Amino acid sequence: MLLGAVELIRENHRKLSELDSFGGDGDHGTTMLRAMENLKNSVASSESGQIKKLLGEVAWAVMGADGGATGPLFGSFFMGMSNGAGQGETLDCAALASMFEAGLDCVSKRTKAQVGDKTIMDAMIPAVNEIRQAADEGLDIPAILERAADAARQGADSTKNLQPRLGRAKNAGQQSLGHEDPGAVSVSLIFKGFMKGALNDGG
Amino acid sequence: MTMKKFLNDPSDLVGELLSGFALAHADKVKLTENNLVVRAEPKAKNKVALVTLGGSGHEPALSGYVGQGMLDISVPGEIFAAPGPPKLIEALRMANRPAGVLLIVLNHAGDVMSANMAMEMAEQEGLNVRQILTHEDISTGPRDKPEERRGLVGCLAVIKVAGAAAEQGASLDKCWEIADRMERNMATLAVAVTSAAHPCTGEAISEIPETDMIIGMGQHGESGSAQTELKTADETAEIMLNMLIVDLSVKKGDDILLMINGVGSTTLMEQYVVLNSCKKILDSKKINMVRCTAGEFLTVQEMGGFQMFMARMDSELAELWDAPCKCPCMAT
Repeated sequence: MLLGAVELIRENHRKLSELDSFGGDGDHGTTMLRAMENLKNSVASSESGQIKKLLGEVAWAVMGADGGATGPLFGSFFMGMSNGAGQGETLDCAALASMFEAGLDCVSKRTKAQVGDKTIMDAMIPAVNEIRQAADEGLDIPAILERAADAARQGADSTKNLQPRLGRAKNAGQQSLGHEDPGAVSVSLIFKGFMKGALNDGG
Repeated sequence: MTMKKFLNDPSDLVGELLSGFALAHADKVKLTENNLVVRAEPKAKNKVALVTLGGSGHEPALSGYVGQGMLDISVPGEIFAAPGPPKLIEALRMANRPAGVLLIVLNHAGDVMSANMAMEMAEQEGLNVRQILTHEDISTGPRDKPEERRGLVGCLAVIKVAGAAAEQGASLDKCWEIADRMERNMATLAVAVTSAAHPCTGEAISEIPETDMIIGMGQHGESGSAQTELKTADETAEIMLNMLIVDLSVKKGDDILLMINGVGSTTLMEQYVVLNSCKKILDSKKINMVRCTAGEFLTVQEMGGFQMFMARMDSELAELWDAPCKCPCMAT
């Protein structure tokens, strides 16, 4: 599931950097690429089949990308997922939803951003909410992640018409109007990658 | 505009620049295995250690201030991007001692997030660390909303006075008090005239019209508050000084430290001209410029412009500012 995200970020990192140039310093794509390479390496070197431990290692690797706020934010997402995961090596749908909710909680501790602030939260909050709802409806994991990916995509799209209110981009004011927030797009790519990865490896 | 920089593979850039930096200043600093910049000769363990973190691409900041009377460890990040919590907690563990560690953090989203996470871990591990946040950019928020103010070159003054106090054997609480007093009495305003290219992407980090200047532009090209046509050194100094004086409520007879920090392509010649303008204006206002300096302390690649830093000084802060230091990129 995780490695699907690596692929999609790799394919899209130039676009992410370009989006970042409208409000930031144009390096979001390279930062995400570095974070995802670290993620891939940590998955490859992990000796544990336990989801909790693997996600903890992934979180630390993503934070080690030294990418300004991006590392701590995306790292916190995986750290929270690790905290919320059970001790086992597989997941059921309810556990999956709890795990993603714990991930979102952990990110919320790092930022005051809400939906509408033109940040990663515009994609992450609806995606995680959708996971819970789809899980409650009894869908299977690939279907749940598909709903999440759609919600994240719509959330990322919605940032086009927003003005940033937080972080470094705040000071860029109008420049980013008409362009999506690169962090929100990254979140949507990661959820789409989770979906694709889940279809490939069955969970 | 095509970027013209002497570089190799951008993904190796930070490692290469740190290796070269350590070679150039081998008598004062060295690199750890994980690219932390530490003193060549460690400070005595019974004295407070100073640690800071920050993105690269701003040389000589911040690693240029590792050395006697200044920092113990600098934790460099990627270009314009803060290091993550893993490197910072490693530095805090390395610096930890009974005397304590003072962590100096510039107010930028990434730096603050990394610092907060590392501080939580430090607390769990029982490390003896206190944190000071520098946020003195008057263009991004009012004085009563410090969380909106960015950390600019003022971190250098905080490092200088707190580092001097630590070297003299002051306690962690005393070092923090000194750092906090400096921080509360300082203000910075930046002006930019030309942009810089991000060394990894080659793209300009901001847009500045050919004939204009922007007062209040941040050190990553973040937009500023006032765009006007380019003015003379005297006129620019007058505008900026007045804003700093108002912000700090500096009055006739006050003692101040003034620092002109060239951010890249504004020449030292211009910096001296501006400093001279400042002196004339301050004299006319009967404000005592008791200390001053000009130079490149915290840069933004080849961006044109400077940061004007002002701090209200008392005799203790002035003494600590004058105390000897031995680091790669500053001498007093």
